[in-house]
Amino acid sequence: MPIDIDEKNLKHGVLGLVVALVEIIRDALRLQALKRFEGESLTEEEIDRLGQALMDLDTAIEEMKKEQGISESVKSVRDGLDSIVDELLDKMINPERWGERS
Amino acid sequence: MTTRPLPDNGSPPDPRTSDPDSASNSSGRYVYCIVKGSEPVNLGRIGIEGNEVYTIPYNDLCALVHSCPPEPYQSQDQEIVKGWIVTHQKVVDAAWERFGIVLPMGFDTIIRCNKVSDPEENMRRWLKEDYGNLKAKMDKVRGRAEYGVQVFWDSRVMAQKITEESLEIKKLEEEVKSKPRGLAYMYRQKLENLLKKEMEKQADRYFKEFYERIKQYVDDLRVDKTKKAEDENKLMLMNLSCLLPKGGSKRLGYELEKIDALEGFSVRFTGPWPPYSFV
Repeated sequence: MPIDIDEKNLKHGVLGLVVALVEIIRDALRLQALKRFEGESLTEEEIDRLGQALMDLDTAIEEMKKEQGISESVKSVRDGLDSIVDELLDKMINPERWGERS
Repeated sequence: MTTRPLPDNGSPPDPRTSDPDSASNSSGRYVYCIVKGSEPVNLGRIGIEGNEVYTIPYNDLCALVHSCPPEPYQSQDQEIVKGWIVTHQKVVDAAWERFGIVLPMGFDTIIRCNKVSDPEENMRRWLKEDYGNLKAKMDKVRGRAEYGVQVFWDSRVMAQKITEESLEIKKLEEEVKSKPRGLAYMYRQKLENLLKKEMEKQADRYFKEFYERIKQYVDDLRVDKTKKAEDENKLMLMNLSCLLPKGGSKRLGYELEKIDALEGFSVRFTGPWPPYSFV
């Protein structure tokens, strides 16, 4: 299982997992914001407010990671998820690998 | 990791009940590779965990094996597994040196016995049934070796180059400077997105270009999955296994040097290896 939570350090593990999820939600929000921005359905002022909110969120997340010393554990959760998604996509794109056992 | 099922094995019987004599320790044969030769040969105790490695001949083919329990080698300890794989490769290397042509098997290929025949018989039967196929593969790799080609690119150098060349990105960069905080943030996101897309496009283009360039110097090639490099800025652009005549890597080497000399690119060229990817 690539998501590795250190039992001896439960706090880091759980916090890392939570912040990783928050980061993923943030990424999704950012993507949506960008779509609105590029779709030109928002006024300059609205975009500015959106940008500021996202920026504040970035800052808050970074501060939390630094304060709690969980940057590494967040990264490892995200890398773990990335590699699961990678594998899945790879399998979907290359059906000839379906027969293989890993 | 697989244990190779035999063609007409039916459901594999429990070796302990079907073969009470040799029960646990010698009712399987771990197969390293298939080589050309008709004589029984003993290579000594060079196998995994110091096992004696010898050949089981059929006609002019031999399977290089050691005797083992009919269970795959498994361990939670990555170091132990690594050690086994290295030994596996060493045995294949030694066989390659000695016999000239090898068809390497994957790690943990084990032949087991069944109700009617012992594992050696099974092995011979497999060689017999697959004889034509094995011979054809041998012809393909005869006198050839596998080389690994990995091309890396430096994402920073690439990003900079793209930024300099793309008018759209340049324009955006100018605009960012005059915007208020929140708006500038959105512009920067847009910029990063554009850059990422452009990078992917370039990666695709370079991949195709290098592939074509490399293709003319090799007899066969396989595209393998790219891996993450230790250095975050150094991305693996392509990972190829190439089949070349033994000692005939000079022209490919020259072409790779040209790629290596391009700004932002580097090439890792390894080999010769036994033809693992082509059997």
